[in-house]
Amino acid sequence: MSPLTQTFDHYSQQKRQQQWKHLAILAILLLTLLLSIHSIIIEDTDWQRIGTLEQVLASIGRFAALDFSLIPHLGVPMLETFMMACLGTLLGLFFSLPVAWFGALNVTPSRRLLYPFSRFLMTLSRSIHEMVWALIFVAAVGLGALPGILAIAMRSVGFISKIIAEAIENIDPKPVEAIRAMGGNNFQVMYYGIIPQIKTLVIGTIIFEWDINIRRSAIMGLVGAGGLGLTFFRQMAMYNYGGVTVVILAILTLILLGEIASHYVRKAIN
Amino acid sequence: MSILHVNQLVARYPGAKTDTLKEISFTVNPADFYAIIGPSGAGKSTLIRCINRLVEPTSGTVRLFDQQITQLPPRQLRQTRRHIGMIFQEFNLVDRMSVMDNVLSGRLGYTSTWRSMLKLFSQADIQRALELLERVGLLEHVDKRADQLSGGQRQRVGIARALMQDPQLLLLDEPTASLDPKIARDVMTLIQQTARDLQIPVLCNIHDVALAKEFCNRILGLQDGRMMFDGETHSMSQQDLDRIYEREVL
Repeated sequence: MSPLTQTFDHYSQQKRQQQWKHLAILAILLLTLLLSIHSIIIEDTDWQRIGTLEQVLASIGRFAALDFSLIPHLGVPMLETFMMACLGTLLGLFFSLPVAWFGALNVTPSRRLLYPFSRFLMTLSRSIHEMVWALIFVAAVGLGALPGILAIAMRSVGFISKIIAEAIENIDPKPVEAIRAMGGNNFQVMYYGIIPQIKTLVIGTIIFEWDINIRRSAIMGLVGAGGLGLTFFRQMAMYNYGGVTVVILAILTLILLGEIASHYVRKAIN
Repeated sequence: MSILHVNQLVARYPGAKTDTLKEISFTVNPADFYAIIGPSGAGKSTLIRCINRLVEPTSGTVRLFDQQITQLPPRQLRQTRRHIGMIFQEFNLVDRMSVMDNVLSGRLGYTSTWRSMLKLFSQADIQRALELLERVGLLEHVDKRADQLSGGQRQRVGIARALMQDPQLLLLDEPTASLDPKIARDVMTLIQQTARDLQIPVLCNIHDVALAKEFCNRILGLQDGRMMFDGETHSMSQQDLDRIYEREVL
């Protein structure tokens, strides 16, 4: 057998093995999916309560009867939601700066202690849902907008600091070398060598996070942390489904405005 | 009196098995344009970075005027670095800053932290920056961002920035390797002319032997971290060159 046929056989055998492997993975995925549908949807749903299709449609229809009398009362909560997002993002940014500095491998003052600690904070901040943060802060500081702001700030730290830390790790080291060579101190290295390189990305990230935080602050009220979420919760508690829809529309308007604003600001800085 | 005296300099990177630089000694005098030549991997960049301690030497001494650079604590090292201008192969400018800010940043070593935070450079510094930009022929590009310039122009910004330091010694790390041959000669001519006018000695890494022979009065030949030649340019023979390049590290 010539070496070439040998390689060919070897190759086609490998290929066949690979195909079997793909098939096996597909079968396992399919089986998992079927099992999940069976146990979660078919067995776990209270089919009696859903009733007929007409009843389902009628329930949904109740949301369509918009309650416009609510509109004059939406201004203040809307503003509160908006301010909550802004202040939460700013406070989050404030906390993010040291976390990012300690958590970027090339500038961290301590690779043994501060670096892993910062990385842990980044993960912690993101793995706890904003509603859970809100519940914690409502318990800690009481009802109102303040726990909402704190919750949003805590939830934002993870994302903002991770992006900044990674931007710092990916900078071009050459300008930094030049500033060190001319006798610049650590602050000057950071201010002239690092910050100009990451500025645009950081501003873009903050605006992106602010945009997301408008969404987050809109539901903060569900756990008592103020804003439109609280209005939503009250309408729901009064079974005023038309009012609920109006609140949802208000949230949608606010989010759209945020989206438009962030689009133009990001365009302006690029 | 000599400007720079390097004695028995040894450098080994952490974790490396052999020394990158093996007992290098040489002296730079006031009017020198000193070239360091050698194949890639010979240790040219390491040698030039040991002078201002961007790379820490393992042993040996570097003396600038009457100061032992190798023994300076961090603060004094920063103060001494102000007197050593450095020009880099890839210019090492801050791309997103203006040409003017890049040139002014050469004064950072002389500027307090809070003044540098507000970019408050003195009138004299601004005046000097404009003069230097005129000298390197970039006066009309003052407000452009550094990344809008061509390679040769960017290196001119690098030269102006180094001169902003009022250096007593210029270190050049392959200043022409990123430039095409014509621009490379222009840049070398500019550096030579400026160094002469301002009476600054130059120590220059360069892999282009023809340029080294044309612009430099002394040559140090490195091979695999060892000094193979040190002398006047005109005293260097073809055999000397062959010896420097005989075992090229690929």
